[in-house]
Amino acid sequence: MVDSNQEDNSPGPADGSGETSFLHRLTSLQSGLGTIGIFILIVLINADVFGRFLFNAPLTGVPEVVSLTIVGIVYLQISHAIRQDRFIRSDMFIGRMLEKRPRVAHLLLCFHHITGAVLVGVVFYFIYPKFIEAFKTDEYIGSFGYFTAPIWPVGLVILIGCGTSVIQFALIAARDLKMAFAKGSDDE
Amino acid sequence: MNELQIGLAAIVLMLLLIQTGMHVAVALFLLSFVGVWLMKDNMTIAGKLVAISAQHSMQRYEFGVLPLFVVMGLIVSSTGMGRDTFDVAGQIFRRMRGGLGMATVSANAIFAAINGTTIASASVFTKIAVPELIRHGYTKRFSVGVVAGSSVLGMLIPPSLLLIIFGVVSETSIGALFTAGIIPGILLSAAFIGVIMVMGRFFPSTVTTSQANHELQEYNDSLTTMAAKISPIIILILIVLGGIYGGVITPVEAGGVGALASLIIALLKRKLTLRMFWNVLVETGMVTGSIAFLLIAAHLYANMLALSGLPDFISQQMEAHELSFAASLVIYLIIIILLGTILDSASIILILVPLMLPVVEALEIHTAWFGIVTIIAVEIGLLTPPLGIACFVIKTNLDDDSISLGDIFIGAAPFALTMLLVLVIVVIEPWFALALL
Repeated sequence: MVDSNQEDNSPGPADGSGETSFLHRLTSLQSGLGTIGIFILIVLINADVFGRFLFNAPLTGVPEVVSLTIVGIVYLQISHAIRQDRFIRSDMFIGRMLEKRPRVAHLLLCFHHITGAVLVGVVFYFIYPKFIEAFKTDEYIGSFGYFTAPIWPVGLVILIGCGTSVIQFALIAARDLKMAFAKGSDDE
Repeated sequence: MNELQIGLAAIVLMLLLIQTGMHVAVALFLLSFVGVWLMKDNMTIAGKLVAISAQHSMQRYEFGVLPLFVVMGLIVSSTGMGRDTFDVAGQIFRRMRGGLGMATVSANAIFAAINGTTIASASVFTKIAVPELIRHGYTKRFSVGVVAGSSVLGMLIPPSLLLIIFGVVSETSIGALFTAGIIPGILLSAAFIGVIMVMGRFFPSTVTTSQANHELQEYNDSLTTMAAKISPIIILILIVLGGIYGGVITPVEAGGVGALASLIIALLKRKLTLRMFWNVLVETGMVTGSIAFLLIAAHLYANMLALSGLPDFISQQMEAHELSFAASLVIYLIIIILLGTILDSASIILILVPLMLPVVEALEIHTAWFGIVTIIAVEIGLLTPPLGIACFVIKTNLDDDSISLGDIFIGAAPFALTMLLVLVIVVIEPWFALALL
């Protein structure tokens, strides 16, 4: 966990077509932004703590901003985590299948990844109206007159993260399908 | 099908799909969404729940502890503080039979107080401790076994990733959970050291080979050197403990200050390049993202379960069969240990805790104690075949091909049994978890 996967050595779509390399840049950009978000989190919290204890001057609204930033970080990382195959799964059965029945295994993986695409799509579909509403009504978090932060940017980040993830899942599913019917895997 | 049957069918299908290699989060999400849809015969209700889970289950200040403590653990792992701790512990235990084994346990316990994952503990100590142990004449099985066994301390002694997950799922205060983990963690470390003593005394051939070198000549640092080696880690532990136990700052703030402090220490030791720091942050993002996706799915799943009435059904059945809470708890813990053979730790917590929690809450039993008991039971699965993650991590990080995965499982077995013993003690005597609260 410490030093694995730090380079992009994922079995992600690597057929070099313009579309997928654009997606690659998009997921990397999001992951980079999410990474900066983590750094901002560290800075914010320390500014608040040290401000409070050393100068008796706490930063207002840190809990609110932290909670919103967390959502942002999470959704900015999701597509990259999918690309790097970092979501927890049990690979004992599928590992054995890949050796013995590669075609069946790839079809199964294809099914799993299509399911992933559909479900992230479901999140997108149901978050969208909430985002529109939050945007139109200037929905905020915090207490008015003291500290408020608008909620809609977080909704936007969720939509972007989910949108990218749908495409990412779909591309991996397409690759599975290709591998299921590639020459050499029909040696059952 | 009635709602109860839908709920049950969802759980069974979920376990099946996970076994076929579907992402755990996707399987939880799929069956919860479809489950709610079928129960309410209405997709919009299911969709509203999806939206709540997707945004509001994550929009929580307390969840900030996760990335912050992961940053701290990763920085500490990459700056050689694990090796320093091991050196100091080796010197303290150097005159005892099995001393280096005890040193491994102690160093792991200390390291666990600034690090939240068993995987990090296992990979760091496989590289530091296993070669040293073998060089000093310990058997290979014991050497890997003691590293595997003591790495589980990473998730019991706060900060702990699994306790954070339990806290989010059960809506228990993460600070309370962290505090509750302290004494059981120390108890388990002491029990491990006791087991090594017993093994060294009565079954010496399981611990050392015949040409064992008990005098650890090279462990002769001066007191000043020892102090210099251990002080950075002590500072970090004080920040973490101050945050969660002293009540001066919140656990989230402790994570933030700890992350900054570990960063400063790493820079002073000249062990961290900008590139490495960026990689630490990227890795943290990955860990956070994958766990968050699981938690989102788990939130939806818990809602589905509540709608199905399954937790109430379990309570009713307990009453109908005159099962005491103790008996149900034993059944629950046995199920956890059995599931540990087919599922990873996080998934077990996400699937089982929402089922059992209403029962616990109705009986006004402290959820922090329930959490600690759950975590110890779950962690036994890290050491047992076929899915003992801690043993897999050790195998991956080992440079010695003569040690098989089987050897690691056999070596870890005495420690898994010790965990079972400590589990029984904490179940019988909740004081161990609740004393500091």
